[in-house]
Amino acid sequence: MDVLEKAGRKVVLLGNEAIARGAIESGVGVFAAYPGTPSSEVPITLSRIAKKVGIKFEYSSNEKVAFETAAGAAWSGVRAMTAMKHFGLNVASDSVLPVAYVGVKAGLVIMVADDPQGWSSAQSEQDTRYYARMARMPMLEPSNPQEALDFTKIAFEISEAFEIPVFLRTTTKVSHSIGTVRLGKIEKPKTRGRFVKDLGRYYNIRPNLQEMHKRIDKKLMKIEKRYGRRLTKVLKGKGRVGIITNGVSFEYVKEIVHELKINPHIMKLGMTHPLPKKEIESFIRDKKVVLIVEELEPIIENFVVRVAKDVNPKLVIHGKDVLPRYGEYNVEVLMPAFGKVFGKKVPDFRKHRKDVEKVLRGLAPRKPVMCPGCPHRSTFYAVKKVFGDKAIYAGDIGCYVLGIFEPFEMQDFVISMGASLGISHGIKKVSNQEVVAFVGDSTFFHAGMPGIANLRFNDGNAPLVIVMDNGITAMTGHQPHPGSGFTGMGEPVTPIKIEEVAKALGAEVRVANAFNQKDLIERLKELKERKGLRVLVSRGECRLLTKRKLRAKDVRFVTFEIDQEKCMKCSECTDHFSCPAIMEVREKPNEEAKYVIDPDLCWGCSVCMQICPYNAIRPRRKK
Amino acid sequence: MRYNVLCIGVGGEGVLTAATMIARAANYDGYYVRGVQLHGLAQRGGSIPTFVRFGDKGELSSPGIMQGDANLVLAFEPLEAVRATYYARKEKTIFVINDFPHMPVYANLLNLPYPKIDEIKKRVKPFAKQLFVFDAHSIAKERFGEVVLGNTIVLGFASRFMPIKRKSWVKAIKASSPRMIKENLEAFRIGENM
Ligand code: SF4
Ligand code: SF4
Repeated sequence: MDVLEKAGRKVVLLGNEAIARGAIESGVGVFAAYPGTPSSEVPITLSRIAKKVGIKFEYSSNEKVAFETAAGAAWSGVRAMTAMKHFGLNVASDSVLPVAYVGVKAGLVIMVADDPQGWSSAQSEQDTRYYARMARMPMLEPSNPQEALDFTKIAFEISEAFEIPVFLRTTTKVSHSIGTVRLGKIEKPKTRGRFVKDLGRYYNIRPNLQEMHKRIDKKLMKIEKRYGRRLTKVLKGKGRVGIITNGVSFEYVKEIVHELKINPHIMKLGMTHPLPKKEIESFIRDKKVVLIVEELEPIIENFVVRVAKDVNPKLVIHGKDVLPRYGEYNVEVLMPAFGKVFGKKVPDFRKHRKDVEKVLRGLAPRKPVMCPGCPHRSTFYAVKKVFGDKAIYAGDIGCYVLGIFEPFEMQDFVISMGASLGISHGIKKVSNQEVVAFVGDSTFFHAGMPGIANLRFNDGNAPLVIVMDNGITAMTGHQPHPGSGFTGMGEPVTPIKIEEVAKALGAEVRVANAFNQKDLIERLKELKERKGLRVLVSRGECRLLTKRKLRAKDVRFVTFEIDQEKCMKCSECTDHFSCPAIMEVREKPNEEAKYVIDPDLCWGCSVCMQICPYNAIRPRRKK
Repeated sequence: MRYNVLCIGVGGEGVLTAATMIARAANYDGYYVRGVQLHGLAQRGGSIPTFVRFGDKGELSSPGIMQGDANLVLAFEPLEAVRATYYARKEKTIFVINDFPHMPVYANLLNLPYPKIDEIKKRVKPFAKQLFVFDAHSIAKERFGEVVLGNTIVLGFASRFMPIKRKSWVKAIKASSPRMIKENLEAFRIGENM
């Protein structure tokens, strides 16, 4: 494995792998996380090497718990870290903010990954840099995998020196970009510590509160002084135009400057909270124009506007006036702004784009779909059979979000982890519509249980809750959760049974085999007849996981095929069930279709066989 | 010098593995490497463009490839080759297309038929300096009984265009394929000799 290569070696790492390497080079002793893309590969990498390196690794039930676990370890003198996606920080923030006040003993680093453009998130284009301001915590922002490694180490250094937790913030194109990295030495981790009682140190109750708050000010000032310069890169150029940038934007800026053969001064900020005021002042003092290149919110820009008032009031400041506030940047997005600011002719990307649109015309899109044999597809299909198109289908976060697409279109809203429950409760409070709320197994443990408790507590008129239990956190790469039966270190543990939790919360519970349509439909009908809080656990292992397990044992699925004599071409299997392994093929456009199953894509779940109205599908016969 | 490779295909790990092999091989040759590997939702049967860029450090820093700037497109699925045209241009880009169609589910649902390979070639041509099409997966299936090795055949064929030493390829294949190292090396050779 490249992340475990010797010090001094040059390897190619994913940004997130580089962060994992940085963590072990810092001697991290405890790492706890709830998986969330684009941060997932930090824990994935560490879970693979935890035993070998000797760190204590866990997947926690949600980000707040993960952060608290890390904080407790850091208070007890062990370097600790957590990683999460931006929305994960919303969950963890309740504990992060007060811990920033009381501080830490050993280093505590919170890696948080934003996702402008929403490659792997569907909630908002949240700019997490605001959290650093709200929590009053330092925030480092690497631009590439090498810095991702280096900054992780510096984050630990700052955290420990100033007894304050530190954010390490990335965006998708830092976390999921690859780059050449020179490795440093792996530090032997310290994993044993001791919590030393110190009344008054670990809470913010008055009169502590203001004292603690004041102390943060001092810490931040010192950090700015000691690290402002060290974490700021200035590339000297010619003329009186400057660029100020951060994160991955720096990588684009360098390339544009090279492409356009221009030579402006460039300032790259590696620490975006606190911003290095002195460095920025001296950078802008003699400039006529600066262009601020930062994705999402104009945070650096607003700061520069403020600073310029004193040191260079005539400075022309460009930022969000020429660049978008939404989406991800890349060279094409940035070029026109460079054209304007530098008075340069830049390539016109529109013509090429038009030519491309022309050749793409009429081609089917390839939206993400549930895997062949996915238990969720089977569940959606059965639910639709029983509840039809009129019921309100409350969506949630997980692979089942793919149920938003055709042919199911069974996620009427998708808001955040566990929100299907709370929102359906609100709807049921004021309406008699039929509501079915979907929630995943990992999501159930993460944020679903309070929602269910509330349904029981406050409403007799509850929705039907369907827990889509595939045994694992599938979307982010198969991480275990409290119901999986093993830990993040791969140790066996007694799984918590969702049906038992639901029963204890007072629900009427049924469990169905997600790969058995008859079972699903019968259980659904039973529950449909009843009133009050009802939970169906639709259980079937994530098919991708099954596939990987079988593959490791060199076992293949029994695949299925369509008997062409019996097939009546009703298109039920393609139009209403839509397993990607089943194809409708036509030799010529207007010819009658033939329905076939691609044996290389079929993952043998047998559900298509169960739903075919003419019994035309059967296990493939050996030739 | 800088060399831009776009690997494009459908879901799964195949594309990522090929991209990783290229990145490693380039690294062994001493190049500075950058690129993008998207994970997550994009992997669920979506189309995933993966970038690998290598060359002199001063000339590349962005992880992504700019419009029309790919030197080489490895399309592991024909329809995806058309989607790669954004990154391609006539004067520069070589296309290697694996003729092993993977019907998008939406071809059925939206009644958009899957184009024939000639139609795909016609659409890609205005963006290609050279265009190579062959069915590596069927070759792999026949030879090894494993379609995934088709990706390595494609890579073997395309290796002639990339300024990377053979020694580094071999090392990269060994490092990137925990299973079936022998078969992968053999598949690479088949591609090289095509
Ligand atoms: S990864 Fe698992 S749960 Fe997700 S779509 Fe595939 S089979 Fe379904
Ligand atoms: S058995 Fe049918 S539904 Fe299941 S994966 Fe194969 S083709 Fe798809």
